[in-house]
Amino acid sequence: MKFDNLLCVINEVASDFLFLDEKVIDIPTAGKFLNQLEKIIEEAQAKKLDALKRVATGLNGILEKIILNTIDQKEGCNILEAGITTMQEIISSYENTGTYEGNIEDFMKSLRDTTGIEGDKDTVSDGAGRLVEEPRDIGIRVDNNPAVQQEDSPVMEGRSEENDPAQEKSQDVEEETEEKFEIQDESLLKDFIVEGLEYISEIEVNILNLEQSPEDKDYINAVFRPFHSIKGVASFLNLNDIRDIAHDLENLLDRARSGELSVSSILIDVILDGSDILKEMIDSLNEVLDGSRTQPLKPDLSELKSRIQNIDTQIEEKGEVKKVGTILVEDGVITEEILEDALHTAKEEPPKKIGETLVKKGKATPKQVAQALRKQGHQIADASTIRVDVRKLDDLIDMIGELVITQAMIKQNPSITDTTDRKLIGDISQLASITSELQRTSTSLRMIPIKQTFQRMARLVRDLTKNAGKVVAVEMEGEDTEIDRNMIDEIYNPLVHMIRNSVDHGIETSEERVKAGKPEKGLIQLKAYHKGGNIVIEISDDGKGMNKDKLVQKALDKGLINSSDGLSEHEIYRLIFLPGFSTAEKVTDVSGRGVGMDVVKQAVEKLRGKTEVTSSEGKGTTFISCFPLTMAIIDGMIVKVGHEKYIIPATAIRQLLRPAHQAYNNVVGKGEMLNVMGNLLPLLRLHDVFKIEPECVNPWEALVVVVEAENRSKCLLVDQVIGKEEVVIKSLGDGLKAIKGVSGGAILGDGNVGLILDPEGLFQLSEQ
Amino acid sequence: MDTNIKILIVDDFATMRKVIRNLLKQGGYDNIVEAEDGVMALSELKANKIDFVISDWNMPNMTGLELLKAVRADGDLSKTPFLMVTAEALQNNVVQAVKAGVDNYIVKPFTADVLNEKITEILAKYKGG
Repeated sequence: MKFDNLLCVINEVASDFLFLDEKVIDIPTAGKFLNQLEKIIEEAQAKKLDALKRVATGLNGILEKIILNTIDQKEGCNILEAGITTMQEIISSYENTGTYEGNIEDFMKSLRDTTGIEGDKDTVSDGAGRLVEEPRDIGIRVDNNPAVQQEDSPVMEGRSEENDPAQEKSQDVEEETEEKFEIQDESLLKDFIVEGLEYISEIEVNILNLEQSPEDKDYINAVFRPFHSIKGVASFLNLNDIRDIAHDLENLLDRARSGELSVSSILIDVILDGSDILKEMIDSLNEVLDGSRTQPLKPDLSELKSRIQNIDTQIEEKGEVKKVGTILVEDGVITEEILEDALHTAKEEPPKKIGETLVKKGKATPKQVAQALRKQGHQIADASTIRVDVRKLDDLIDMIGELVITQAMIKQNPSITDTTDRKLIGDISQLASITSELQRTSTSLRMIPIKQTFQRMARLVRDLTKNAGKVVAVEMEGEDTEIDRNMIDEIYNPLVHMIRNSVDHGIETSEERVKAGKPEKGLIQLKAYHKGGNIVIEISDDGKGMNKDKLVQKALDKGLINSSDGLSEHEIYRLIFLPGFSTAEKVTDVSGRGVGMDVVKQAVEKLRGKTEVTSSEGKGTTFISCFPLTMAIIDGMIVKVGHEKYIIPATAIRQLLRPAHQAYNNVVGKGEMLNVMGNLLPLLRLHDVFKIEPECVNPWEALVVVVEAENRSKCLLVDQVIGKEEVVIKSLGDGLKAIKGVSGGAILGDGNVGLILDPEGLFQLSEQ
Repeated sequence: MDTNIKILIVDDFATMRKVIRNLLKQGGYDNIVEAEDGVMALSELKANKIDFVISDWNMPNMTGLELLKAVRADGDLSKTPFLMVTAEALQNNVVQAVKAGVDNYIVKPFTADVLNEKITEILAKYKGG
C-alpha cells in the first residue's frame, strides 16, 4: 500500500518506454524519463529502498549519456529496458512481500561494463539527477559527440583536439592557422570586432567591480558572460586562438563562480592580462581587414596559459578589497569593536549582510551603509538603450547642424525680416526654437558618461602603483557626467598624463606616508562636473604636493624665468606647464618619458580646453581641466576685417579693447607693440596676415582682440566685432588641412562662410 | 518543409544572432525576429505568434533556462518548439534543460546543416505528435 506512488511512477515509465517509436529516445522523451526517475530516486531514498535507488540512479546516468550522445542509442535502450524491468520487479516484490530478496548485481555489472557508470555511487548523480563531479569531463567528452563530428564542414575542422589542455591544442591550432588565414565573412568579422571590443571594455569595468566585492556572483557572471560570448562567436569565425584564450579565461571564472577558486588579486591579474591580450588580438583583426597584415596577431600565449594552469598553486596576496565594514570604520561611522560584534551576529543563522546587521542594531543608518556600498563601486546598469552606428549619429548631427544654419539664413533673409505678416513671424520663431531644441537633443545623443574613462584611469592607477610599490585607492565622483563621445578618446591622453604625474610625483611611498602621519594608502580622486557648457575634470592626489621655492629655483636654473618677483602663487604652480620644465629627479618608467606637463597643456588647448593646477605642500596636488562638451560646436567671436569675417574661439580671447593712441609703440627690432594694462604685447595685423584691404589701419581707430595661445598673448587687429555666436565647425577638407592660422570654417547666420582662426598657428605665421 | 515559420533568436551577443540568422537563411528560413535576452524574448513571444525559439543559454536578466521554464509554464506558449544553443563548457546544463522540457540542444559552433536538421526534426515531431 505504502508504495502506491512509486508503483504508479514506475509503471508510467514502463508504459512510456513500451510505446516508444522504434526505441528511439529523443530529447523531450529523455527529459520526461529524467523527471520520473528523479521522483523514483527521491521516494526510494525516503523509503530506504536501496536497491531501487541504485537502479534508478544508474538509469539516470544512462539517460544523461543518451542526451549527451556519448552512448549508442540502441545499447542505451537495451540497458534502459532491463533497468525498468528490474525496477518493476523490485517494487512489486516490496508491494507483495514487504521486502526484496532478488539480486540486482547482474544488472549493475552490465551497466558498469557497457557504460562505466557506477549506479550506486553518487559520483554520477547526487540523487536529484544533477551531475555532480563530472561536468567538465562531460563537456570535453561531448566533443566526440558523433552528431557533431560527422559534420566535416570547414567550420568544424580542427575541433577534435579539445581533450588536451594547453600544449597540444595550441600546437595544432598554430599549424592550422599558419597555412593561411581566410576571412570567411567580412561583415560578421567587422561586427565581431566592434562588439568584441565593447565586451572587453565591459569586462574591464566589471572586473574592477569584482575586485571590490569578490563575493558578488553577479559580477563574476558579468565578466564570465562576455568571455563566453566572444568564445562562441570566435568558434564560428574560425578564430581559434581567440576562442582558446576566451575559453580558458571563461573556465577560470566558471571555477570562481562555483566557489572552487577564490577571487584573488592573482586571478584578477590573470583575467585582466588575458583580456588585454584578447583585445590586441581582436584589434589586429582590423588590420587584417584593411590588408595591413595577412594574419591576425599571434601573441605568445605560453606565459598566460601557464599562469592559468597554475592559478591554484599561487600564493594569494592578502586581499586589497575593502569590505563595507572596513569602509564604515574608516569613515568613522562605527568602531572596530562594533564591527567585530556585528560580524559575529551577521554570521549567525540565517546569515545576513553586514550592512543589514549594523542597521538593525542601530549602529549605522541605511544611508551610511548605502554610501559605503557606493564607495565599494557598485554600479547600476542602464538596460533601456539601443545601439546605433556612430557614423549614422554623426551624419544626423551634421545634418541638424546644416538645418540650424539654413534656419538662421531664412530668419535673416530680408524678405522675412521686413515682412509684416504676423503669422509668418510667429511661425519662423517657432521654427527657430524647434531647431535649437533639436540641435540640443541631437548633440546629447552622442553624449556618454565619463564613467568608462574614469574606470580606465582607475585601472591605470592600479597598474602603475603596482610597479611603484605604492598603495593607492581611487575615488570617483560625478562619473555619470556626460561628454561627447568624440571627445572621450581625445581627452584620455592628457588625463592619463596627469594621473601618471600624480602617481609618480605626487603620492609618496607607504613608508614616507606613514612617517608624515598620513594614512598608508594614498588617494586619488577623480571628479567630473558640468560648468557653463564645459566639462570640468579634477584629478587630485593626497600626496606631497609641490614646493613653491623648489619650483621657482628650478625655473630660474633652467632660465625659464628671470626672477620670481611678482609671481603669484597661482603663477608659480603654472610654471610646471612651461616647456622644458620637469620636476622629476630621475627619469622613471612611469612619467619621466621626456614628455613634460607643457605637452599636456598643449594637448588640452588643442581641444580648446584649459588646465590649471593648485597644490598645497604636504597635502596634495589638484589638476583642474576644463574641456568643451563637444568638438562639433564652438563659441566664437565673429570679427570683421575688410569684407571678410573670421571667427575667433572664445576660449582663446582674453580681452577686447580699443587702445589709446599713446598705448601704441613701434619698437625697433621688435615690431609693433601695444601697452595693454601695463604689459607690452605684440600687435598682429590680421589684414596683413591675410592680405586684405582693411577699413582702419590705425589701432586706435580699430579694435584689438587680445588672444592667448602657447602661454603667450598677442593683440589681433580687426576692424569690427560683430558679435558672439555658436557655430558648427566644418572641416576644410583634406586639401586645405595644413593651412596655418585657420583651423576650420563655419557657415555664419547670414549664410556666408567664415574661417575659424587658430591663434597658435597665427602666432607662428607672424613670427616667420 | 515550411520555411515560412517565424523563428525567434535569443542571444545577448548581436554578432552571434547574426551568425545564427545567416545559418538559418542558408536553410531558407528568413522570417526571423531577434531578442537580446530572456525578458525581451518572453515579451516578444507574448506579443506575436512565434513558431520556433532558438535561445542561447547564458544571458543577462533572464537566462535561456529560465526562459524555457517560463515558456513551458505558460499555457499559451507551452507548446512552442524550443532549441537551446550551448557551449561545451556548459554541457552539464544540458541535462537541466532537458528536464525543463527543451526539444533539443545544439553545441557551438555548428553548421547550417546541423541546425536545419535539428529544426526539421523538432518540427516533424510537433506535427506528428
